[in-house]
Amino acid sequence: MKKTLYIFNNGELRRKDNSLYFETDGQRKFIPVEDTNDIFIFGEVDVTKRFLEFASQKEICVHYFNHYGYYMGTFYPREHLNAGHVVLKQAEHYLDKEKRLTLARLFVKGSIGQMRRVVKYYTSRVKSGQEQLTECIDRLDHHLDILPQQKSVEELMAVEGHAREAYYSTFDYIIGDADFRFEKRSQRPPLNRLNALISFGNSLCYTMALSEIYKTYLDPRIGYLHATNFRRFSLNLDLAEIFKPIFVDRLIFYLLNKKMLTKEEFDRQTGGILLSESGKRTFVAEMDKRLKTTISHRHLGRSVSYRRLMRLELYKIQKHILGEKEYEPYQALW
Amino acid sequence: MADVKAAPYEMPVTGVHIWYYFICKREVWLIVHQIAADQDDENVDLGRFFNDQTYQRDKKELSFGHIKIDRVREERGELVIGEVKKSSRFKESARYQLLYYLDTLRQMGITARGELLFPKERRKEIVEWTPEAKTKLDKAIADIRKIARFPVPPPPKKIPFCQKCAYREYCWAEEG
Repeated sequence: MKKTLYIFNNGELRRKDNSLYFETDGQRKFIPVEDTNDIFIFGEVDVTKRFLEFASQKEICVHYFNHYGYYMGTFYPREHLNAGHVVLKQAEHYLDKEKRLTLARLFVKGSIGQMRRVVKYYTSRVKSGQEQLTECIDRLDHHLDILPQQKSVEELMAVEGHAREAYYSTFDYIIGDADFRFEKRSQRPPLNRLNALISFGNSLCYTMALSEIYKTYLDPRIGYLHATNFRRFSLNLDLAEIFKPIFVDRLIFYLLNKKMLTKEEFDRQTGGILLSESGKRTFVAEMDKRLKTTISHRHLGRSVSYRRLMRLELYKIQKHILGEKEYEPYQALW
Repeated sequence: MADVKAAPYEMPVTGVHIWYYFICKREVWLIVHQIAADQDDENVDLGRFFNDQTYQRDKKELSFGHIKIDRVREERGELVIGEVKKSSRFKESARYQLLYYLDTLRQMGITARGELLFPKERRKEIVEWTPEAKTKLDKAIADIRKIARFPVPPPPKKIPFCQKCAYREYCWAEEG
């Protein structure tokens, strides 16, 4: 599988003949272009038009994050996969209220299902709070049960929000570290360390989902749970809902419980708390490692990486919108 | 202006359609609907490489109408057209793909001989037009047009081809 390149240093990205290189402090590091899937830029990096042309030709998405680690945008190369039939069907599923609701409901179902899986995993492992975790599972089950009665996307969003609240309430038991209290969810800016980690991890997850969508026929602008508004991508947000609990949250628990990230890795910025550069490096490296781990896939009859699961999910969504097979969100067994 | 009446639309059938028709009908539908297989797949890369690297000396790729011939040459005044394949595993498919080309040429009044080429196996095989083959070919063409009109693709079926097919993840994405 092709690799993701993460750049934290400051420098320049250039094209040299049929190859790419990154130059920093007079040192050139060549990038194997045929083996690069996408590039995440965290440092101050200058690019040239020639570089962007080449990235487009080689179908490489370039994602930008600002100094604080916030997602800024993507150089999304020109569409290379076009199938009028798929785009029309995707739009049809957005415009038809019932069809849109069906998909939105499935995304929420997948999302809550994954949260449930995470809590379940930790129920027998936490030092204290087993009861609270068990209670949380009951609440998540209740939220799953009431999904069919929700008659609008807004109602579905509300159920998802309540489920997530219950889910987050278990984090203090799972982490059990006074330096990383959840308190409440705060974003832009995150007000404590744990929130800083969640925000950073989620934005990586959204971005990866976008890269995967680029490799399919689906249009990232047409989402179902997250409204399409033609200003930003939204299908990747829908897709990420299903993967955030297992890709991001479980990684955070792992990093904190293994003391790979400590409070020293956080800086107080204007009004908020953010992960330091070395903290971001650790996070990104571990996430990349995790996404490369493989699990066996029964139906395919071979193993696939965690990241590949995102692509498979998109294939399932595409089959749903083509009317071939109803989408059933991914359910982790781990 | 003269009254021009449009001829009823007939979907152009290509050699690739014929090839897949004898392997997997679902793939025919996907290709007709321009839903290409995973381009990152290693076998897709390998195919591209083979196409670029083999039979460099011969005149390569001749396109006309809706067909594209891998290799064209002349041997003692006779036209020889070749179709290159990675392996002889799906020979039946390859044979009909080539027969389709031969038949198209015949309709244009050109007699040619066909050769299936398996560079990796250092092997080739002669294919010749026969009335029996033509009957089977015509049925396949009519069937391909029928499949193209299905609103949804035929459901996936596990066949030996799936193992190395670039659509396998698309077809078998569900956890089952």
